[in-house]
Amino acid sequence: MKKWFKTLGIAAMAVALTTAGVSAAGAASSLSGKIVINGSSALLPLTLQAANEFKKLNPKVKISASAAGSVTGPQAVRKGIADIGACDWDASMDVPGFKKFEGQVANKVAVIPFAAVVNKNVKVDSLTNKQLADIFSGKITNWKDVGGDDADIVVVNRAFGSGTRVNFQMKALNGADFMTKGSNYKEVKSSGDMKTAVDTTPNAIGYLDLVYVSGSIKALKINGVAATEANVINGTYKVWGYGYYMTKGQPTGATKAFIEYVQSSKFQNGSLKKLKFIPVSAMK
Amino acid sequence: MIDTTSTHSLAAAGELGQSIRTSSGRWKDRKNRLRFYNRAFRVICIASAIFVCMILLSILFFMFRTGVLTFETVSPATFFFSADWSPENESYGAFVFIFGTVALTALTLLISVPISIFVAVFLAEVAPAWLRNALRPVLDLLVGIPSVVYGFLGLTLLIPLLRQMTGYDLADGILAAAIVLSIMVLPTISRISDDSISAVPRKFRDASYALGATRFQTVFRVVLPSARSGILYGVILGMARAIGETMAVVMVIGNTPQLADALFKPTSVLTSNIVMQIPNVPFDSTWNYALYMMGFLLLVISLVMIVVIRVLQKRGAKA
Repeated sequence: MKKWFKTLGIAAMAVALTTAGVSAAGAASSLSGKIVINGSSALLPLTLQAANEFKKLNPKVKISASAAGSVTGPQAVRKGIADIGACDWDASMDVPGFKKFEGQVANKVAVIPFAAVVNKNVKVDSLTNKQLADIFSGKITNWKDVGGDDADIVVVNRAFGSGTRVNFQMKALNGADFMTKGSNYKEVKSSGDMKTAVDTTPNAIGYLDLVYVSGSIKALKINGVAATEANVINGTYKVWGYGYYMTKGQPTGATKAFIEYVQSSKFQNGSLKKLKFIPVSAMK
Repeated sequence: MIDTTSTHSLAAAGELGQSIRTSSGRWKDRKNRLRFYNRAFRVICIASAIFVCMILLSILFFMFRTGVLTFETVSPATFFFSADWSPENESYGAFVFIFGTVALTALTLLISVPISIFVAVFLAEVAPAWLRNALRPVLDLLVGIPSVVYGFLGLTLLIPLLRQMTGYDLADGILAAAIVLSIMVLPTISRISDDSISAVPRKFRDASYALGATRFQTVFRVVLPSARSGILYGVILGMARAIGETMAVVMVIGNTPQLADALFKPTSVLTSNIVMQIPNVPFDSTWNYALYMMGFLLLVISLVMIVVIRVLQKRGAKA
């Protein structure tokens, strides 16, 4: 019995020593501190990937990231709960429905393209901004009015306050108001729900981050331009927005280093591209 | 290995002997110790009870304190009786959701109670013993299925089915939600009704049969009325579950703030509206306070139901 304990103890010590050795070897940087990140769930995959890589380079920095709605990002920063508030729009300016957050600095970290999507049974391939605005505000209610079959249009919308909704309203609908009532109108609470709803409802139209678009639903051309990364970069497809890291004043210390890491060309052209975002530097 | 075990048992034996010696030697010591233990146990029990009450009271207090701020900018009449909910335009009428919750619960009970009672009668009165013993555990298992599973099945199976049957384009709405909730509360209501029907004394049935009553008459004139308070208890328990249910409802109700005046019209209830909007609302806004007020309403409704359940239980015990 005693021998058992002894061996166990030695093994434990050996393990402890090795881990200590490894972490000591990894401590290349002297940067330390704690970064709390809150906000948009659309940017969370990017934030988590960046945090993992950043922690490997700077083992003394602790990063904790969580996500809810976009607006919680700048709010948490204002309240001092978070150092970085991820937000799908520039929260230092007024956008439809939300006032600007005074004294906050918007740091661009990624380009997020959005797409209008329809159920597979819809024959229409392309819509203009005007037609989209009319559909989402409830002025056009039948697909035949935009060149499709004679069928009612089912509009699926994100709940008020969603970052995707704000961007889509500004860029694709030219700021037109959404409809709020009707028997062919419903709201969903996340991009995943939006995808399921459009996928399973015939004659449905909605909108998504381009990364969520896959085979089971159809992304529409807007003004005849297909929603692809290439078209976003060459400037013909206009429905995209920047993802922002909001900070209270100019960032300092570990927070500054983290944001610089995310904006570095190594991260932008590496992991960020792999996660299907578009590097900020690609836009002119 | 053997070595250590023997030392252990030796040590244990030594300890035992010692404890016997002290307890028998100085009995007063033992009495003091016991008194201390009793006191300590009493204090711990009371403290735990107070702790639970404190949690309930503080939840009520904080929900109310934040919720009541709504009425700084919105009049109670508007909040409770206006059906115009568009927080982006400063209109906070929660009537749509209150009405939705009431209507949804009523519709759910309308569907689920008759079916549950038939299931309970079948289990308690009709089914042979082997079938009864097989079905009861099945119903108990149904109670444990997470609501998100029901919601998902509603979204992917029920709604397309309703769409095909009715020809509506969307089919989200109060009927879809009521059907999903009915399936959810059915096992709860039928199991509790089943138990209370089984608890009706055999002599009641015997007397009824002796008077020449048929089985149908016995069940509906004698057994069900005697089991009434137990059945009601089950119904209210099911009702409380239906009112508080969020996940399953939010997936099939359509989440549009408009009055549920048709079975197939996307609408919203208290729970679904809270969960839809709370991630996106600014902290210190009337909108946020209004959502808290709605949460407080839900809390009050469920507390009232629990009080009703207690009253019924007492009456049942007396009968």
